[in-house]
Amino acid sequence: MAGGARVLSDDSRLSRVDRALYALERQLALLSGLAIFSLMLLAVLSVGGRNIISQPLPGYVDWIEQAMPLIAFMGISFAQRDGGHIRMDMFISMLEGRALYAVELITTVALLVLMLLLVWGSWAHFARSFDFAAPLWSRDSTMDIALPIWPAKLLAPVAFFVLCLRLVLQVWAYGRAVVTGTATPVAVPLIVDAAAQAAMEAEHLSDAGSRGQRP
Amino acid sequence: MSSIDIGLVVTGFLLLLVVLGMRVAFAAALSGLVGLIWIFWSKRGYDPDSFFWALTVATKTAGQIPHSKLASQALSLIPTFILIGYLAYHAGLTKALFEAAKRWMAWVPGGLAVSTVFATAGFAAVSGASIATSAVFARIAIPEMLAIGYDKRFAAGVVAAGGTLASLIPPSAILVIYAIIVEQDVGRLLLAGFLPGIFSAFVYAALIIGMALMIKGFGPPVRGFTWGQRFASLPPVLPILFVVVTIIFFVYNPFGGDAWGTPTEGGALGAFVVFVMALIKGMRWPQLKDALLESAKLSVMIFTIIWGVLIYVRFLGFADLPGAFSDWITSLTLPPMLILVCILLSYAVLGMFMDAIGMMLLTLPVVYPAVMALNGGEAVSAAESTFGMSGTMCAVWFGILVVKMAEFCLITPPIGLNCFVVAGVRDDLTVQDVFRGVTPFFLADAVTIALLVAFPAIVLWLPSQI
Amino acid sequence: VEWNVSLWGKRRAFTEHVEKLAELVDQKTNGDFTLNLSYGGLSKNRENLDGISIGAFEMAQFCAGYHRDKNPSITVLELPFLGVSTLEQERDVSMAVYEHPAVQEDLARWNATLLMPSPLPQYNIVGVGEAPRALADFEGLTVRATGGIGSAMEAVGAVPQSMSATEVRQAMDSGVIKAASFAPHAHMSFGTIENANWWTTNLNPGTVNCPVVVNTDALEALSDEHRDALMGSVDEALDHYIEFYNEKTMAAWGPALEERGIEKVTFSDEEIASFKDKVAGPASEAWIEEMSERGLPAQELYDLVNEKLGQSN
Ligand code: NA
Ligand code: NA
Repeated sequence: MAGGARVLSDDSRLSRVDRALYALERQLALLSGLAIFSLMLLAVLSVGGRNIISQPLPGYVDWIEQAMPLIAFMGISFAQRDGGHIRMDMFISMLEGRALYAVELITTVALLVLMLLLVWGSWAHFARSFDFAAPLWSRDSTMDIALPIWPAKLLAPVAFFVLCLRLVLQVWAYGRAVVTGTATPVAVPLIVDAAAQAAMEAEHLSDAGSRGQRP
Repeated sequence: MSSIDIGLVVTGFLLLLVVLGMRVAFAAALSGLVGLIWIFWSKRGYDPDSFFWALTVATKTAGQIPHSKLASQALSLIPTFILIGYLAYHAGLTKALFEAAKRWMAWVPGGLAVSTVFATAGFAAVSGASIATSAVFARIAIPEMLAIGYDKRFAAGVVAAGGTLASLIPPSAILVIYAIIVEQDVGRLLLAGFLPGIFSAFVYAALIIGMALMIKGFGPPVRGFTWGQRFASLPPVLPILFVVVTIIFFVYNPFGGDAWGTPTEGGALGAFVVFVMALIKGMRWPQLKDALLESAKLSVMIFTIIWGVLIYVRFLGFADLPGAFSDWITSLTLPPMLILVCILLSYAVLGMFMDAIGMMLLTLPVVYPAVMALNGGEAVSAAESTFGMSGTMCAVWFGILVVKMAEFCLITPPIGLNCFVVAGVRDDLTVQDVFRGVTPFFLADAVTIALLVAFPAIVLWLPSQI
Repeated sequence: VEWNVSLWGKRRAFTEHVEKLAELVDQKTNGDFTLNLSYGGLSKNRENLDGISIGAFEMAQFCAGYHRDKNPSITVLELPFLGVSTLEQERDVSMAVYEHPAVQEDLARWNATLLMPSPLPQYNIVGVGEAPRALADFEGLTVRATGGIGSAMEAVGAVPQSMSATEVRQAMDSGVIKAASFAPHAHMSFGTIENANWWTTNLNPGTVNCPVVVNTDALEALSDEHRDALMGSVDEALDHYIEFYNEKTMAAWGPALEERGIEKVTFSDEEIASFKDKVAGPASEAWIEEMSERGLPAQELYDLVNEKLGQSN
């Protein structure tokens, strides 16, 4: 997606950490996929319950609201790793080498700062809904059947924290690329043209470790 | 600095971040957060001791938005409709539709591209999300078009443009979201989308046939299917009808009895029917897992844009920009139709840099009341109105126009989701290729929108029958 | 001094007291202290207490039933069949509860001070199809009702459904639900009366309680003059609100029903009494038990409500 970005890998520690984190991100994204699937089942249960046994699912809307954060947040870092969040690459596709990595480094650092702040902000949002002293630790509940909301609110800072880990890794990778000026930076999404070129150069250099890897 | 100046400076900052290649969702969120900090700090006269207070309040305000705005029943339609698209692909519906369209329609000039358009239109009756439609047809239609010599960029463009039909022809997640933002009847809007969707498909087809007649070496007609082969292609398409009927029964029961559920449930039930079909067609865990991961990825991309844009919208709210804008619009002394056209044109410009839902969330709270006021208010009768339609019908008409504009923005550079998705499916295509291939369809969309503005009956005839 | 006020939707009967308050404060302070009303721009309605607690804005309106756990103490005012029959009673009993120390402590967790209620009339039910003549007719009726009113409906055999308010009209037109419970102004704005056949005039199962609160720090930071201007305008703003609701909204309600030929269903006193018996006792007992476990003086609050209603009756 997003122009078929691809991520190179090699034997470096950076690349190994990248792949380990990617495995975690993939599991979280799958969790989000399963939540989508469960939304579908929930509707079947609700409709079936109402029309067949005249017993609607209590709190149908409340349960949907609880499932939505799973879908909305858990895959955020998975998409960032693969370059899946869309952007306009007209300007940066004109850059290459150190200039390109430097611009990517700047926007990635800015993004890291944003996400660290949002981890704080969304944690505060969770914390306002959580109270050890209250029944079910709940200080905020859904409208219809009063489910505690704190577990769903907790998902945002958790997913954003994983994204921060990913961003630290990308800052490291872009930083390394700026220093070395390499044509084959690992652990960061490359736009297709650049990736194809990088793969080609990698073959030229017969660098056995570097190869284009389709996520 | 007045808060309106702050709003303008921060909007400039947002554009700079987007140009620098920051992911759109995060560029919007970051500018929104910076704007909030600025607004709060200005309330305390930029006192250095208050900076941390402003940072805290702004961060906590922004930090509520992802959860509080996304934990909503209305938005749950988006992932369900995306999932339907992938499940239908695994149920073989995409292939069956394309095959049938090919056998019946590919004999015209540019036949395979025309077939693709009508196959996406047929698929639209099941799929409620444009990007999922483009994603699955990229896998099926592009290889066939390439095999008989179409330009690969044009082939990609057809699929990107054809995908947009999914949001006009019901079911449609984006129409439901419009209905919910402006608090109008969902069923009536869904019904209103049907004719404009078919109409768009015919305009696309006419454009392709015209190009095929004028351009040498354009995709040739595909002839030689016997009537037997044509009829044989129909039974595999029948399951689509089954899904359509299921969904219709959820919105309006044609036999006059009670409907079975709400549109939200209808979408999910449609997905379940397609899921069962895919199981029968041999889908197992590896394919399902693939479909779930793809759906998760598209969903999180859209949801991230939504909360990112909403952080920015929250900043605009504190800067009171919407209020200033709506005062300005209603104070204009231009002819109302000209104002409406200007609004649609600004959607075209804004849509270049935004995603469809983000754009609607950003603009509708301001633009919708202004348009309703232009027409003479929510309760106006057709006879007393500016545009010759009652308030309710104006809401429907404007909704279809906005959704068509939002669909247009899915294929315009530099940020057009459908084009990104098509390029992502195909290794041999860059986003720039798809944008180049889709360009002719801008003309088709411009014609469609102009006709929908000039002849509101195309939109309003069907909903006025109920 | 400028205060931001977070409301939602658009200007309507439900927000007239805040509009009036802004006008009065502006007048009394010659424009030195202004309330800047925002309809939905500053927060989502369910997060208004969060915004107050953060300090993002200084005043906000919300409904207790949106989030029981955020404001358990004032949900006493949403119990079914309290026996409130006028907006004036609703105002008095709300104010009495808002002044109770336990309630103030409850809202203090959000750095919020309760300013005034937004008194709403009792909810009643609008429906399609055959009108219920007796309580027994509610058996199996699908009705959109949430919270306490939902449990009340369940007690007489109806099937409460939860769905967002914006989907109610569609659900009713398509037959997914047969009836919906709202206050009159909401029945009108959500369009539930457009195709309805009947309306219950005296079921009065309860209502929602929607206070207006201010940020405590901001209130304390006001000059004495400004604070007096604000607090001294509350009564007049509420008078205006109640007059507006009675004169304008309720005046539009009767004709709106007649225009559409909607039948008014009135239950006999015995029917209402037996409905009340089935619902009110068990609901208040459950509420008192649950809230006592949270450490609230639940019985005391419940008694306060009844005592206040006894005085005004
Ligand atoms: Na569709
Ligand atoms: Na665009």
